[in-house]
Amino acid sequence: MAVDARAAEPLVPHWQRGRFASWLVTVDHKRIGILYIATAGFFFALSGFLAMLIRTQLAQADQGVVTGESYNEVVTMHGTGMVFFVIVPILAGLGNFLVPLMIGARDVAFPRLNALSYWLYAFAGIVFVLSFFAAGGAANTGWTAYPPLSAIVPGNGQDLWILSLHILTISSALGAINFVVTIHNMRTRGMTWMRLPLFVWSIEVYALMLLIVLPVLSAGLTLLLLERQFPATFDFFVPTDGGSPILYQHVFWFFGHPEVYIMILPAFGIISEIIPVFSRKPIFGYKAIALSSVAIGFFSLLVWAHHMFTVGLPNYLNGWFMVVSMVIAVPTGIKIFNWLATLWRGNISLDTPMLYALGFISVFTIGGLSGIYLAAFPIDWQVHDTYYVVAHFHYVLFGGSILAILGGLFYWWPKLFGRLLSERLGKWSFALVFIGFNVTFFPQHLLGLLGMPRRIYTYRDEPLWEAYNLVSTLGSYLMGLGLLVLLVAIVKSRNGRRVGNDPWQADTLEWYTTSPPPPHNFDSVPYVSSARPLYDLRRRLKERRGF
Amino acid sequence: MRSKPIIACAAVASLALAGSALAGNGGVAPVAPASPNADAIRESYWFVSIFAGAIFLLVEGVLISFVVRYRRRRRPRSADGAQIHGSTRLELLWTLGPVLILSAIAVAVFAKLPELEDVPAAAAGEENLVVEITGVQYYWQFRYPNGVVAIDRLRAPEGRPVELRVTAPDWDVIHSWWIPALGGKTDAIPGTVNSTWFRADRGGVFEGQCAELCALYHAKMLAAVEVMPAETFDTWLAERRVAQTAGTSQLGEEQYEGACAKCHGLAGEGGYGPLLEGNAIIGDARTLERLLREGRGLMPPVGRDWDDEQMRAMTEYLEERFADGG
Repeated sequence: MAVDARAAEPLVPHWQRGRFASWLVTVDHKRIGILYIATAGFFFALSGFLAMLIRTQLAQADQGVVTGESYNEVVTMHGTGMVFFVIVPILAGLGNFLVPLMIGARDVAFPRLNALSYWLYAFAGIVFVLSFFAAGGAANTGWTAYPPLSAIVPGNGQDLWILSLHILTISSALGAINFVVTIHNMRTRGMTWMRLPLFVWSIEVYALMLLIVLPVLSAGLTLLLLERQFPATFDFFVPTDGGSPILYQHVFWFFGHPEVYIMILPAFGIISEIIPVFSRKPIFGYKAIALSSVAIGFFSLLVWAHHMFTVGLPNYLNGWFMVVSMVIAVPTGIKIFNWLATLWRGNISLDTPMLYALGFISVFTIGGLSGIYLAAFPIDWQVHDTYYVVAHFHYVLFGGSILAILGGLFYWWPKLFGRLLSERLGKWSFALVFIGFNVTFFPQHLLGLLGMPRRIYTYRDEPLWEAYNLVSTLGSYLMGLGLLVLLVAIVKSRNGRRVGNDPWQADTLEWYTTSPPPPHNFDSVPYVSSARPLYDLRRRLKERRGF
Repeated sequence: MRSKPIIACAAVASLALAGSALAGNGGVAPVAPASPNADAIRESYWFVSIFAGAIFLLVEGVLISFVVRYRRRRRPRSADGAQIHGSTRLELLWTLGPVLILSAIAVAVFAKLPELEDVPAAAAGEENLVVEITGVQYYWQFRYPNGVVAIDRLRAPEGRPVELRVTAPDWDVIHSWWIPALGGKTDAIPGTVNSTWFRADRGGVFEGQCAELCALYHAKMLAAVEVMPAETFDTWLAERRVAQTAGTSQLGEEQYEGACAKCHGLAGEGGYGPLLEGNAIIGDARTLERLLREGRGLMPPVGRDWDDEQMRAMTEYLEERFADGG
């Protein structure tokens, strides 16, 4: 037999096998997932630090922790960072790691494209960070960047902000294509749509929504960039030459509102995985939960102008956007009630992932209810652009997305790295974050109703305003402490307890393989005959042992 | 751990109660209304609160009681809970229930709408007072039908409807007009005129501020509405008209405090902008006017659209106060 010349060469060239280099060239969805999570973790620290600056500045009226100019930059970069560089990418990271494992696939459909998505994200992140050093400082017009302000504001911070988001939207779009193709084509034998893990369902909707709305954001930002760079030629949004400032708001929120659901649906998916496992029950109403995600995704495309109730739209339009916004509350309510019903007659273990999940339900409910006030447009005329709105979306995005993501990290950490995060530190982090969160953000509802607008670097020194602001600031320190405890837990997990393939006795396929999984994921995948393949397997084993 | 939500709720409730004791409602509802439209909004708010409060108690109550009731205790971790996969009847219940509640809220909102939208008619033989409000970085300009201009403080008659036309110059940015006690927000959008109204049912000074990020001194773009008895208001408006023509009105001072002082300091001591005291440009009315109309460097054209009376009031005030070292 002739010797194949290629056989002499190793499959992976030597230089790519180093500890560092192997991460640079990897196309393994699990490693890319970890890269996403780690990078998003860095941006979480950065944007969280900016949040601490905001709260410190606002602890009392007329403070000079940051100047008015810097404050606007801090607010803008905090919001943009958390939305674009933390929540969406960390969900992409969890999705990357978990989707192929949960559907019994070997990798995503396009591994190289997957690597490209990650590196574009990293590149966008570099542009984003460097924009702090731009002429005139970082962008300072809020994460919404409304023109005319964003079109006429001097300096290059705004331009770099636009460019970094441009790069990021390409990254997200490529990632979304990968998720959709993978989920549609690479499910293992027996895994029908109605047996798909609910987290994968949520990633499917997340990816489809990204594909629909990202091009709209890109278009809007392109117009803004053109108008900034060539003001004499292009008049899209500045009215001096016939542009419309409101047009931008329509474009932005057509992206921006679905974006909120893009950030929360995978969080719902995480909760739908955790609650049944720690209750030792099947999820209550699988179909209702899966289809409500689709319903939320669909209706979220029709509600954008509920962010624009004060711009002077005619009331028949306001009315339409109110009604559709309220319609979304129905599928969201369905999810909450199904999660509660999953607890019913369960065998509930209060481990850290479950604590975060239960914390999620309790505070997300508040975020959902305050949303009803905002949807009712006359009430929105009072609370729009106040701290009430700030409180509302932090209840949804921190109390919702971030708590779910933290729960998910505690839940899947043993699968990611083979070692458990400390339960003791985990419970401390939960307690501090949960209490700190409520102390920080609940008083902000009251501030908004008292008349405090958002995005102000100081406020009228009325006693009640100062009292609530001080409480809010103290709460944020408590929350920061909780996140430091989490960081300690992560660092210490290098020597954490090894717990085998399936520490939680979970139901889905990712727990069938080793922890961490081998590069090819599975040696064999069992035939899937329900939404809980591992539960079926355990039951069959038990029955066999019974003989 | 399960006691955490209870503790948090208790903390939040006690905070809210302490707040209520301090300032009327303490922020549990929109501030005490002084106009029918603000009142209608507050009533809608309380109506929604009935349902929101009930759902909140239901969800948190069920959550806490299930966690307490069905926690593991001495059962082995792996012991199965009841293997229940769902219930169509329950799904229907918690689909239709919210649908009904939300329909009720939507109907109530629409029913309240006329109270908010329809401007009350003026008394027989009178026309409603119409004030043009212009938001400019970083001050509010009010123009009355007789040409009287005021800055940052709107005087209004008690008990009479006041119609507001809210806008911003097309070279400026978006602001949002908001006096919480007198109704909701109305965005001041460059190139567009939005309408709103109030009818103050008691005297007093009602404070508010710009509610749309408009760059550096957004936080300092405060506004106040001073509501006075109708006759006092009529007198004020007539006297101000005369004074404004004669150049003896407060307009110069108001413009200074609204348009200049945020950057140059209330005493002209400088700050974000340079020192005014003894500044050479102050004595030169023509250069000063050009500066105010066109801006320079970081200074925005605060007076681009000012009429001659406004400009004269401004230059005279500045000269009187700051020329020759004051």
